[in-house]
Amino acid sequence: MFNLKQRLYPLYWRLLTRYLNKRQPAASQVSLTQKLIFILPTRYGWWFLLLIVLLYLLGTNYQNNLILLLSYLLLSLFLFSIALSYQNISGLTIQAQKPAESFAGEYVKTQLSLSSQKQHKMLQFNLVQHNELIEQPELKHNVSFNLAVTQRGKYQLPRVKISSQYPFGLWRVWSYIAIEQIYWVYPAPADHVAANSSAADNDATQCIQPSGDSLAAYQAGDSIRHIVWKRLARDPANPVVRQQLIAPKAEPSWVVVPKLTGDALERALRQACQQLLALEKSGTRYGLKLPNLTLAQAVGPLHLQRCLQALALC
Amino acid sequence: MLVAPRLLMLWAGIQLSIVLLLQQAFALWITALFILLMLYKITATWQGKATLSLKLVNLLAAAIALALIVNIRQAGVLHFMLQILLLAASCRLLALKHSADARQLVWVHYFLIASCFVIHQDMFTALLIFTVFTLNLYSHFRLFAPPRLHISWRQTSRSILIVLPLWLAMFTLFPRLPPFWQIPNAKVASTGLSDTLDPGSIEQLVKDDSLAFRVEFNGELPTRTQLYWRAYLYEDFNGRSWQVNPLRQHRSQLNKALPQNASGIGLQYRVIAEASQQHNLFALMLPTTVSNEVYIASAGLIKSNKPVSQRTSYQVTSINAPVTWSGNTETDINLQLGVGNAKTQVFAKQLAEQYPSPPQLVQAIATHFNQQHYFYSLTPPPLGNNSVDSFMFDSRTGFCSHYASAAALILRAAGIPARVVGGYQGGDWHPQQGYLAVRQREAHAWVEYLDNEQWQLFDPTAAVAPERILNSLESALTAEQRQLLFSGWAQFELLQSIRLQLMHLDYYWSVWVLGFNDNSQQTLWRNLRQYFTTILSVLAILVGITLLLFGLFFWQRRPTNLAPEAAVLVQHKLGKLLQAKAPEQTLSAFIQQLALQQPVHQHWLLLLAKTYEQAVFKNEAEALKRLQQLLKRHSKELRALRRGCIKNA
Repeated sequence: MFNLKQRLYPLYWRLLTRYLNKRQPAASQVSLTQKLIFILPTRYGWWFLLLIVLLYLLGTNYQNNLILLLSYLLLSLFLFSIALSYQNISGLTIQAQKPAESFAGEYVKTQLSLSSQKQHKMLQFNLVQHNELIEQPELKHNVSFNLAVTQRGKYQLPRVKISSQYPFGLWRVWSYIAIEQIYWVYPAPADHVAANSSAADNDATQCIQPSGDSLAAYQAGDSIRHIVWKRLARDPANPVVRQQLIAPKAEPSWVVVPKLTGDALERALRQACQQLLALEKSGTRYGLKLPNLTLAQAVGPLHLQRCLQALALC
Repeated sequence: MLVAPRLLMLWAGIQLSIVLLLQQAFALWITALFILLMLYKITATWQGKATLSLKLVNLLAAAIALALIVNIRQAGVLHFMLQILLLAASCRLLALKHSADARQLVWVHYFLIASCFVIHQDMFTALLIFTVFTLNLYSHFRLFAPPRLHISWRQTSRSILIVLPLWLAMFTLFPRLPPFWQIPNAKVASTGLSDTLDPGSIEQLVKDDSLAFRVEFNGELPTRTQLYWRAYLYEDFNGRSWQVNPLRQHRSQLNKALPQNASGIGLQYRVIAEASQQHNLFALMLPTTVSNEVYIASAGLIKSNKPVSQRTSYQVTSINAPVTWSGNTETDINLQLGVGNAKTQVFAKQLAEQYPSPPQLVQAIATHFNQQHYFYSLTPPPLGNNSVDSFMFDSRTGFCSHYASAAALILRAAGIPARVVGGYQGGDWHPQQGYLAVRQREAHAWVEYLDNEQWQLFDPTAAVAPERILNSLESALTAEQRQLLFSGWAQFELLQSIRLQLMHLDYYWSVWVLGFNDNSQQTLWRNLRQYFTTILSVLAILVGITLLLFGLFFWQRRPTNLAPEAAVLVQHKLGKLLQAKAPEQTLSAFIQQLALQQPVHQHWLLLLAKTYEQAVFKNEAEALKRLQQLLKRHSKELRALRRGCIKNA
């Protein structure tokens, strides 16, 4: 049973996403209107309905008008609370804020701003297929999510689920909102190489150390040109490459990422990231050279951001 | 989330009031037990003690449940169910820590509160129960609301305004169904007359001021001497007390006392009987038809299918005729003399020799009671086993039952079948409200004797205390005995009148709320259909007026448009195209931009921009006119532009 549910869930989610994408494409600002709001009874709501049915049976069997009155009162409350819970969530406006940024392996904190003409109570926010649940008994000005990120890149925030059970917990009103909220995940800075090559601090030491120490096992994506052929002849099963710890000696204060693929590229990007951070910290002008993009030398947080974004997309 | 102590107190209070409301249904020790549990919870919450551990509460619950199961025979299924529910609720409350658990508690409370209506239906208790319900609803709301929310009265009253009509419409218009299955009845002590008529039982009953039933008459109110409400037939006499014959208990036997030719105009009336936990109900004279809830049993009595455990109303048509004789079995039963009372039998034989025909004999008995020194008293001396003898020849003081049993025995001894009838005589007529209130005070006993194959009515009390029949019990008693009837509070006139008003209110309550059934519903529907057009037109007028008012309101609030006429005109004509306009852009700049984008329309668009500027800035009437003409001339192109704009979007 559980297995079936687990297997069906992705299918369900895929269909739902297709439907939602058609119904509400991502936008930078979304107001919750009737079109976007779903309402269904909660589990407690079903129990409540059972109570109404039981009371109706009791009242009918005893031909007791007062019990019937009570049962109808509960029924009208039950129905009216549809409108109440709808009102509690409708009219809420969610707006995307400036992109969030973080390094891979950390948490990215994305923030959305909330605004409304009305009062909204007991709202719950969570990102679909994420566990973090944020409750706001009274509406605040914004809501922020902490997302664990592993892969560098430029991402769009998943759909946000906004739900509420106010006022009687009988109905769950919810909405899946796609919002054009972007977050950047930069390559994680390679800490261990920082000591090895303090690239930014003095340009002179920034060169390859052609010692045999920097040999490493071949990994998919390593350039064939770096393979140590002599060793390969000896031991064809374990190819070894001569590692280039740092980019080949370039112009001072240029961070260069050579044309690589796979893990090698990732490694290089991590290093480049580390270098960029160090350079920015030292306050020197620096530029970034990627295989297909060159960012001119400059300094400042905006420049750093632009460089890091280029790394994330590389 | 932890539950606030205030909510805990509220729930304990709700449970306490439920226990008190259901106290009638519970044995004393059970009530006491629940009250103890609640009081413990209240004091513990007050002092801020920790909640009991779940293990302890489970143990406690198991022990109490065991005791309740042992008691199930005595309590009956319904009460057992209520006890178990209440036990579940109170134990849940004792161990309650988190608000998630409290939902079940609130649910059970709703059910228990509704079950209180099985026992209580009078208006004030109903109001009380609705108050408890409101408190429970409040606690329900609190469970799902933000912790420090102030309830806005405006929103609450708005919600009430919406829910109220919805609720009442559902109640009045939803179809009524008959009971689905037989249900266990509440075991509550019965009130009113019983199967046995002891000397002295009616004297006890008349001290009770509570209501027995109410009657509405379709036609005119019968005279007071006709208001003999028959409820019980006492046919078995054992020398001291009278009892209902076992054959009368069965529905089939001794049946159909209906006359072959039911002549005379029927008297139609509706009886609203209070809960008595008995089968026997009340009717005048000879009932011919009754509504569904009840049936006509033998000898013209009316009974309900199950004990009357709540206020019940039924419709009766009676004809002014004596009850007919059903056969020899009936005659035999009603000639039994019982043991003892020899002196009375001798007296009866003498009387019978003097007056051979039954009407004469009855007249003689009445004269005897009237002429000799007999007294009508609420406090007759106690009688021995030969109750009739000692009443007739020693004490000579008695209440209606004494006179009735003496008269019946004399008639039987004289060879005329006779029986004692128990019921009510008279009632208070409330002309404004249009109903007759019959209280337990009106309990009465009289005699029926067989003459000409018909059971004739004879009330010996009328001979000794005619005021009792013509006026009321109070007028037939001495001032001293009247004191016994009105004890304590009842002596204050103001309180009496308040009580009377409350009774009237309670009457409307029972007619409109409790008595609302499928009949009334059908009538309502019929009326609705009949006055459909009227209702519709009234609704239409109301809606129209509301719209008008709203329109007026908004028209007055409408921001006075400061834009010049030309701008309004052009904006209107451009319509959807304006969506592309940046807010900071002027209208004429936008038109010029449009002209650049649309080379085909460039010429006239530029002209439009120019004319528009002239119309706005020169404020010329002529330019405005030219603008109108221009727009009119190019309306087709404008439409094409608008359509193109939609397509692009």
